[in-house]
Amino acid sequence: MEAVKNGDLQQASLLFDRYNKRIYNFLARMTMDRALAEDLTQNVFLRIIKYRNSYREGLRFQSWIYQVARNIFSDHYQMHKNRFSDFVDVEKISDHITDKNESEVHEEQEKLLERSMALLNEEQRELLVLTRFQHMKYEDVAVVMNTTVANIKVKVHRAIAKLREHYFELEKI
Amino acid sequence: MDNEKLEMQLIDYIDGKLSEDERQQVEQELVRNDQAFKLYEQLKEVIHAIDKTKKLDPSHELKKKFDDFLVAEIKGSKKEARSIFFQPGFFRIAAAVALLIVGGGIGFWISKQSTQRQEIEAIAQELARTKTLMMGLIENQQSASQRLQGVNVALTIQNADDEVVKALALRMNEDANTNVRLAALDALSKFHTEPQVRKVLLEALSTQKDPVVQIALIQLMVKMKEKSVVNDLQKIVEDDETMKAVKDEAYSGILKLS
Repeated sequence: MEAVKNGDLQQASLLFDRYNKRIYNFLARMTMDRALAEDLTQNVFLRIIKYRNSYREGLRFQSWIYQVARNIFSDHYQMHKNRFSDFVDVEKISDHITDKNESEVHEEQEKLLERSMALLNEEQRELLVLTRFQHMKYEDVAVVMNTTVANIKVKVHRAIAKLREHYFELEKI
Repeated sequence: MDNEKLEMQLIDYIDGKLSEDERQQVEQELVRNDQAFKLYEQLKEVIHAIDKTKKLDPSHELKKKFDDFLVAEIKGSKKEARSIFFQPGFFRIAAAVALLIVGGGIGFWISKQSTQRQEIEAIAQELARTKTLMMGLIENQQSASQRLQGVNVALTIQNADDEVVKALALRMNEDANTNVRLAALDALSKFHTEPQVRKVLLEALSTQKDPVVQIALIQLMVKMKEKSVVNDLQKIVEDDETMKAVKDEAYSGILKLS
């Protein structure tokens, strides 16, 4: 990233190759909308290049790109004056997030999981996406979310407990 | 063990993050507590469901759009780089200092030129004033001494223009005072190499009637080695009205020039 900051924009291509899938997955899990996630992922990389001079040397690039992705996600919903839970129809989430041709083979379990995730509040969903779906260390998540490791740990446990509740409530339906 | 604490421990148990003692404690709880076992089963299913989720792949369009953007950005940044001269900052400072020095130099040169021009103008004005003063003195009809003074000033000047030559010629030929006439001849002799002055002197030789001036003129012609005046000198020698001293001088001049 420091090469990009110093004007070697060609190096940005390497960063894109290394991180685009992770950022896309993060945003897809957060928005529950693959097309939107793709647009937002694009915006993350555009913003990184445009604002390359604001990159603080020494900060891990991973932390920075996730911070940018979180801001992009947050900006998007603030712009639309709506939060995810206000307008996404939980029943149709799996149609949003999975490819239509994949849906036939999609496991019931995963559908249920997506629906349960959608019922979590934004912070809980984000914590689970980062730590459980993306396997990010608590230390790194603490940097991204600007809090302590202990705080992250407690919140992640609570989020899993909440997810379990939603999951088995939905299963009964 | 309360429900929340149990649930936290079960999660860590599934993740394999408990110490040996804690692990045994949890396992004992699972054996004797059906509710805890059910909770464990549910948590395990959810956590495994997460672990089994597929990674989503973005479309190829994302990469293509990014590459297009990057190409445009690289072009843009090159243009930008071209428009920013003197990178890094050190060169900018060096350029600023160089500009300051060159600017100062030009300013100093202009000011020096301007000073020189002013000096030249001052000298020219001074000369013009001197000439006006001199002409005023030369043409003073009332006082011979003033005219003499004016003619003496003419002796000090470096270049005589038409106006000065005419004024001096008039004094030499027609002034009522012999001293003024002689002084005027003296002044004109200083410029005898100039054609117009030479012409005036030659004319004067045939017209001058003042013996003192005539003698001085003849001596000047000899000094100038002006051989064309031999006929005029002959006329002076033959003229009955000419004073003997003048005739002698003219005769001497003929001998020297021929």
